[in-house]
Amino acid sequence: MLDMRGIEKSYGAVKANRGIDLAVADGAIVGLLGENGSGKSTLMKVLFGIVAADAGTITFKGRALRHHGPRAAIAAGLGMIHQHFTLVDAMSVTENIMLAWDRAGWWLRPKDIAREIRSTSAAFGLDIDPDARVADLPHGQRQRVEIMKAILAGAELLILDEPTSNLSPPEVAGLLDVMRRLKAKGHSIIFISHKLDEVLEICDEVVVLRDGAVTGRGPTRGATKASLAHMMVGRDVTATVARADITPGATVLRVSALSRHDAAGLARLDDVSFSLRAGEILAVAGVDGNGQTDLAEVLAGLLPATGGGIDLGGIDITHAAVKERLAAGLAYIPVDRATTSLVPAMTVADNLALREFDQPPFSQGGVLRKAGFRARALERMGRFDIRAAGPQSPARTLSGGNQQKIVLAREIGRGPKVLVAFQPTWGLDPGATRFVIEQILALRAAGGAVLYLSAALDEVLMLGDRIAVMHGGRLSEPKPRAAVDVTEIGLLMAGIDPGARAA
Amino acid sequence: MRTLAMTAGAIALALLVTAGLILLAGKSPVTAYGALLRGAFGSLDRVAFALNKSTPYILAGVGVALCFRAKVINIGGEGQIAVGGIAASAVILLAPAGSPPVLMLALAMLAGAAGGAVWAILAAWVFIKRNVHEVLCTLLLNFVGVLLVSEVLRAPLGEDGAGFPQSPLFPRAGWLPKLIPGTDLHIGILFAVAAAVLGHVLLWRTTFGFRLRVMGASRPAAAYVGVSTARATFAVMALAGALAGLAGGIEVSGVHNRLIEGFSHGFGFNAVAVALIAGLNPLAVLPAGLFLGFLEAGALAMQREVGVPSSLVYVIEGLMMVFVLCAVGLNARNRRV
Repeated sequence: MLDMRGIEKSYGAVKANRGIDLAVADGAIVGLLGENGSGKSTLMKVLFGIVAADAGTITFKGRALRHHGPRAAIAAGLGMIHQHFTLVDAMSVTENIMLAWDRAGWWLRPKDIAREIRSTSAAFGLDIDPDARVADLPHGQRQRVEIMKAILAGAELLILDEPTSNLSPPEVAGLLDVMRRLKAKGHSIIFISHKLDEVLEICDEVVVLRDGAVTGRGPTRGATKASLAHMMVGRDVTATVARADITPGATVLRVSALSRHDAAGLARLDDVSFSLRAGEILAVAGVDGNGQTDLAEVLAGLLPATGGGIDLGGIDITHAAVKERLAAGLAYIPVDRATTSLVPAMTVADNLALREFDQPPFSQGGVLRKAGFRARALERMGRFDIRAAGPQSPARTLSGGNQQKIVLAREIGRGPKVLVAFQPTWGLDPGATRFVIEQILALRAAGGAVLYLSAALDEVLMLGDRIAVMHGGRLSEPKPRAAVDVTEIGLLMAGIDPGARAA
Repeated sequence: MRTLAMTAGAIALALLVTAGLILLAGKSPVTAYGALLRGAFGSLDRVAFALNKSTPYILAGVGVALCFRAKVINIGGEGQIAVGGIAASAVILLAPAGSPPVLMLALAMLAGAAGGAVWAILAAWVFIKRNVHEVLCTLLLNFVGVLLVSEVLRAPLGEDGAGFPQSPLFPRAGWLPKLIPGTDLHIGILFAVAAAVLGHVLLWRTTFGFRLRVMGASRPAAAYVGVSTARATFAVMALAGALAGLAGGIEVSGVHNRLIEGFSHGFGFNAVAVALIAGLNPLAVLPAGLFLGFLEAGALAMQREVGVPSSLVYVIEGLMMVFVLCAVGLNARNRRV
């Protein structure tokens, strides 16, 4: 169906694709594996016409695709499901599907389209209600709406970009089932993923990229996770980080029966209690959107608690202002670098001072001290290996990893009593991820307490001294790492209480 | 440097397009532009006139630049200038005869600033407390402020028997002193220069300015930093209102020597244009305001001397601003915060 040959693409001096061949047969599922920055996204952007290749040819269904844009790609029969959905939350499923769909015509017939959605939904086992509002749908359902959009637009080759990264285990199983049905009806799929067991389960063939070139390809039959992993990174990924043996100290953070109800009266945070001791990491697993944001932001003072209490080192900070929490020794790394933890248009020095700019050495009596900004910036840039042209470079000019180092340098550099870290490795490549994890372990070794919230289970398992799971705004009982059972965590993430089932 | 070159190019382009329009009106562009230059720079009197014209644009423009930096879209300059003018006029007209001029003028200018600040705080209050979009509250209060001028001229401050809605002429003690004796140039331009310099220092060298910059870049970041956006909004609006109100006081006391209906007409929006041309840098508001003041002075002279239609004056002004904003706007994406 698809034959890409010799695709090359450079961004400035960086060669993102160096002569990649990729072929997909009719009704085949091809896995595309590779680390962040290995060239997968670029290759797919070239295929979909988002960027133009420097060299190489694309043949799709026997016809050459050249100088095409996304619209032409869709018209030719390609469908792309991005990691971040392109749905309008306030609209219904039907309305979303009518959007930018040529066949909907200019005189909209929602009833007919809803009927078509129902029949297609039944044919592929998508289980979509055309009248539901997208805002009310869970992540997995929204993804199915995207798939539906692509199918109805006539896509014969679907590109799924890390489709399982935010799904709970049962949702993943459902998605794999949908993929099998698509395949049975003659659709082809390119499945981009980091998750080797999923690739082995669903794909017919696999193509592995590293540094913009193909480092391995072949049928999945006979391949093993170890062989794939080796092709992917060319080094041993299972090497664990060094964890110092630390006996936790006194309890520094005590959260009791914390809850938050939103404006509509819905419980976003439901009776959450835990405590945290000095030199201890409590890692919280969970599928995105189960109250992690609420927990992090209520602790950080960005959202109000509607019940319960937070005690930090003997100070009741339940209703304290952000500044008071900072003074009490709380640090917070939010998930969102683009608009919250960093101001990309400000300089590196400004960003390093962001949360303390109104105190010495950054200012005195309301007047900023440039020398204080500069000295602190140079010290932190050295200590946290922040690669920037200088303290006056705008933060936006730095790579994602270096931007996150600014946040780490500011929040950890303060020597906080408690750090709340919410998906601090989100969107980072393996090298930067490792740096973040090492810094967090270093804070632990220095006696800091850490609440680590993440949807990445492997990080939770690697970091946590104790491990808990969030689901539906509730926190499970934290368990010591030695007593953790991965299956049990999987069930908890899916909202099934293993204890209750056994009883 | 690149911005400067592009701005020059934009001005040249605007002049070229306008030349075509002047030709269409049956006049010679060379004669017209000669008159424009003479009108702006031809004599000390002309320069004085242009500097006086620039003064309110710069004062109000600095306030708008600070507001826009914090992403508080204050387009209420016109109303704030109007109310400032009323307050300053009231002090001058109601002061007992024989009051010391320095004291009277100082009080009048303070009253002007206070009047403008109150008007801006009113808009900020509706914005923050009632969650009405700030563009709407500042815009609507413009109409109220401007009509308030007409209203006070009808009764308490109006001149009996005048054919036009205006106050009696201020006593001499209520006239803003001249900077250069023998010309119309009053000391208002000094306030304008001071405002631009202080605005620059405030924005880049104080914690207050840092708060405004963070808040303007991202509201979530401001919350994360612990900046109270409500408090900062009130403060920056009050400041911008005070500057606009001061401009109103200077205008009535320095230029007209009385309160007249419609004296603030168009000032508020020109201040927005000036702030945007300056790339929201308070210091750059100075040249931007001067540019507009001299352009207006020249265009008015051109109309008088060459007899081009008066609407063409506004066409020239409008084209200049659009072209310059296009040139400046290209770099706005990479603006430093």
